[in-house]
Amino acid sequence: MDRHGVDEALVYPIQGEAISTIDGNEQQRKWIEEGDGRLRPLWMASSHPDSLSQLRDLHASGELSAVRLHDTQSVKLPFTRWLYGDLLEFLQAHELPLWLSLADGDAREIVASLEHYPELISVLCGAHYTHAALVAPMLRALPRAHLELSRYEVANCGVEWLAREFGPRRLLYGSFFPRYAMGPMLFYLYQLDLNEAQRELICVGNARRLLQQPPGSSP
Amino acid sequence: MIAGSPVIDFHGHVGRWDSVGMVDDADEMLRQMDAVGIDRACVFHIFHPDGRLGNEITTQFVHRHPDRFIGFAYVSPLMAETDVIAELERALDNGMAAIKIYPPYTPCPLNHAAWDPIFGFADSRELVLISHTDDGDFSKPEDLGRAARRFPRARFVSGHSGNVEPARSHAIGEAKRHPNFYLETCSTYRQPGVIERLVREVGADRVLFGSDQPLMDPRAQLGKIITADLDDEEKRLVMGGNALRLLQLSDRLD
Repeated sequence: MDRHGVDEALVYPIQGEAISTIDGNEQQRKWIEEGDGRLRPLWMASSHPDSLSQLRDLHASGELSAVRLHDTQSVKLPFTRWLYGDLLEFLQAHELPLWLSLADGDAREIVASLEHYPELISVLCGAHYTHAALVAPMLRALPRAHLELSRYEVANCGVEWLAREFGPRRLLYGSFFPRYAMGPMLFYLYQLDLNEAQRELICVGNARRLLQQPPGSSP
Repeated sequence: MIAGSPVIDFHGHVGRWDSVGMVDDADEMLRQMDAVGIDRACVFHIFHPDGRLGNEITTQFVHRHPDRFIGFAYVSPLMAETDVIAELERALDNGMAAIKIYPPYTPCPLNHAAWDPIFGFADSRELVLISHTDDGDFSKPEDLGRAARRFPRARFVSGHSGNVEPARSHAIGEAKRHPNFYLETCSTYRQPGVIERLVREVGADRVLFGSDQPLMDPRAQLGKIITADLDDEEKRLVMGGNALRLLQLSDRLD
């Protein structure tokens, strides 16, 4: 982070992708508490009833600001209202944003489910050039959806076009570190035809807004 | 140019691939190249099995911007052997600088004898040949390495450097074994330290920057080199110096 000028990072426990969001969240909490405050938790959620209970407790203690769904395709569960409706209802009611992996989820299920929660804020992450045909239609279908950019280096109708079409408020810098190197996507954002205000939103402002952090907060 | 050094993209495409949004709009490609300092891009058309039609389209594409694009000839074992040789001779006469092959679009893995006429042609002319490489059965870096051993005067470039593990490690191994084996960098798999590893293990003079444009934005792919923990001379070689040498281009790109 220091080498590339990244101040803070939202991190989630990999264990939560396909094994246990409950244990993953607990382990990550301890890990983050031992850090210097620059890592912030993206709590994981699954369809298990204990997962929602854990999130409710975290919310009650003021620790919950963002949630990431486990990888529904990896665990072979459909992302449907009848399985995840209680979670989506809870997140919408408390204005908590939900991160979902396009790479590890089903686009049809994501749109079909989220359309029933029009106030729910979502962040579609992991989009790759193989998702190029899906991204814009999904952002149109889900007006409160955002796109995380860590793997999105599409040349035609790429980030600049998305910023014009949907506004920079719906785009978020991400690195996917440590699976991907942290620098290239940040370098890329600084080479794009964006003005400073747009770049600030993508790199900082949108994340702060979604996480309900006041401007200029730590570090 | 970046800090006075030429930047040459060794891996680009002509043609459309609609399902993934790939459009070969030369103006847009040049805008993206200009934004980040890429002087020239090597391009090829792999979507026509007969080779000739795609090569003709590539030639026309390059002729519209001859100072910015360099054409590579695409051929495959789907063509008759006599047609392969004739097409390569025709393509070279039309100014194409190297050969591109894409085994997944053929019935022949890289170790199949059907590739030998193409490898032999490259060997006889001391040409550069870039092949797609990955972890699939058709495009194994080990098989390209065998070709490098059997055809030592040709220069073989492992497109994507194998792309993912274990193929990436195999590509590195082949480059260590064969002095005429080079590694090209474009890939969406941007693991931390991957560019540094290629350079440390085979030497900066054997690694070539490529972007896969316009499938991917070359600005992001060049970012992998720019942000890598390499010294300036290593970056100069990877970004363009090696391509200048391999393709025998002038270092004056203006």
